[in-house]
Amino acid sequence: MSELAAQLLTPWHRSASASVGLYFYFIRLAFLKFLAYRVRYYTGVVSYTIFVTGHYYVYSALFASAVAESATGQLGGLSLPEMITYVAISWIGRSFYFNAIARDLARMVQEGEIAVMLIKPFHVQTVMMFEAIGESAFRLLMFTLPIMVVIVPLFHIQSAPDPMIYLWTFVSFCLALVIYSQLNFMLGCLAFAMKNIQGVLRAKMVSMDFLTGVVVPFTFFPEWFQVVMSYLPFQYISYVPVTIYLGKRQGAELQEALLVQLAWAVGLFLLGRLVWRVSVRNVIVQGG
Amino acid sequence: MSDSLIQVRGLTRDYRLTKKREGVTGGLVDLVRPRREILRAVNDVSFEIPTGEMVGYIGANGAGKSTTLKMLTGILTPTSGEVTVGGLVPWEQRLQYTRHIGAVFGQRTQLWWDLAVVESFRLLQKIYEVEESVYKRQMETFHELLDIGDFLHQPVRKLSLGQRMRCDLAAALLHGPRVLFLDEPTIGLDVVAKENVREFLREIRDRDKVTIILTTHDLADIEQLCKRVIIIDKGQVHFDGDLEDLRVRVGQKVRLTVDLRESVASEVLAETTTGLPVRWETAEGNRHHAEFNRSEVAGGEVIKSLVNGVHVKDLHMAEQPIEEVVRDIYRQQKEPSA
Repeated sequence: MSELAAQLLTPWHRSASASVGLYFYFIRLAFLKFLAYRVRYYTGVVSYTIFVTGHYYVYSALFASAVAESATGQLGGLSLPEMITYVAISWIGRSFYFNAIARDLARMVQEGEIAVMLIKPFHVQTVMMFEAIGESAFRLLMFTLPIMVVIVPLFHIQSAPDPMIYLWTFVSFCLALVIYSQLNFMLGCLAFAMKNIQGVLRAKMVSMDFLTGVVVPFTFFPEWFQVVMSYLPFQYISYVPVTIYLGKRQGAELQEALLVQLAWAVGLFLLGRLVWRVSVRNVIVQGG
Repeated sequence: MSDSLIQVRGLTRDYRLTKKREGVTGGLVDLVRPRREILRAVNDVSFEIPTGEMVGYIGANGAGKSTTLKMLTGILTPTSGEVTVGGLVPWEQRLQYTRHIGAVFGQRTQLWWDLAVVESFRLLQKIYEVEESVYKRQMETFHELLDIGDFLHQPVRKLSLGQRMRCDLAAALLHGPRVLFLDEPTIGLDVVAKENVREFLREIRDRDKVTIILTTHDLADIEQLCKRVIIIDKGQVHFDGDLEDLRVRVGQKVRLTVDLRESVASEVLAETTTGLPVRWETAEGNRHHAEFNRSEVAGGEVIKSLVNGVHVKDLHMAEQPIEEVVRDIYRQQKEPSA
């Protein structure tokens, strides 16, 4: 007994290299899992192209009628080609960072599957984060790239003003992935407290693309709205990376945008851990 | 403080439920003033389990078995009470604790549904930091005892329930846990699959001295695997002891089946055992059934007077099956006078 107790009580920590190995394996597994369902994404290429096409015609019509009245040929600080590029890049970005962690987590909690996660010696939040990275890696190859191949030539998307901007846009979308998945994760944690969060999830579905700036650029909105949004993390999911691509943020402004984005990513991850801890304390695993 | 590996003291868990009122008006009233009710799922449960013991934890649906098991595995935080396993508090030192335990929840798998079985094992190897040589050795053992080699490369969703359960057992034991929690490990399995699982559990119990707590509805599991049983009903422990003691406590009921050479009226037959506490039941042709209690009368005495009175062709004595013993325990609780 004493020998066994000693074994149990010996503090155990995963070494840094073992952690890297483990979390990389989660990326790999998520990638493989989505690969098994890749056919689902072929239809996605079509629907994303339709979204962008819709926006293309709406904005073309809008500019045709409104620009006649303005001297600059701009609307909300964007010219028509910039506007089309904005729409295309934000949808291309969305095809990369999107995931359904909130729904997955809610399902796991509601159906009691969370039990098998909780009996494993790992942080569920970290695991889900890396699964999301694996999903996005899959999306990048099987979804984002095909969409770019279709959309970029179709709508004459502007190239970035400077080759480095491609890199910074990608970095920014990667940080957007962390922010997006952590917000999603915390939303999913609500399932611990509420019996049914389908309504919350639907509200999120509708409002998220609006709050992140995918649907309409923030510059179209009144000043007060932009001020409020600047204190919230949502614009760092789409509006900020896309404006980086458009070259609207350069030099110090670019650095600042990326640093604030990084701070949000780290801050939300820590907040997510806290929310998780509180939620698990009150866990009621349903069924079984 | 005692020396047992698993110590449970005064474990209690409440669930808060909202009770719905009936009808439309009731529904509207519920919106304004919901009726809250507290359900005590586990009520002041205490027991100790020494290292290497295999204990059956049984009870009817909703008796509190699964809730107890969830607290023991650290998934659920109790309302009050203490649990220590080798000095660790499951829900407080979850990462440290889960490193050393294994668990199978019969109704859900811990394998990655869309992926080949072997991918899940490789992942578990990384999660628990199992060395490659140990991994190989363990997988060989599992293959030998559970015969899982043939479907290692199939996706989990394509496995039969029996195959999946064998994989789940292997997955729970890959890292050589010292404590194993099994929540209905034979649920939904056919007779052959059940036997395979039991055989495997016997093997690891005897060979690796793993401490095992098993909940089940199939009392044959308990009969074949556990010496000790804990019976829980309405959240409270009603019995904790040897399976044999359980039989004694309820009384050692014996069922006697007698085949006679010729047709004999029931009354005549009953007369042969006059004065003995034997209860005869209605006959089926020449076959008669009787029940008596070993603590009241010896089997030999009953048979002696029976053989003296009538021409017996054949007879069979069976002990009461464990299901009935448990049922009698519940019944006794309901009628305390009995």
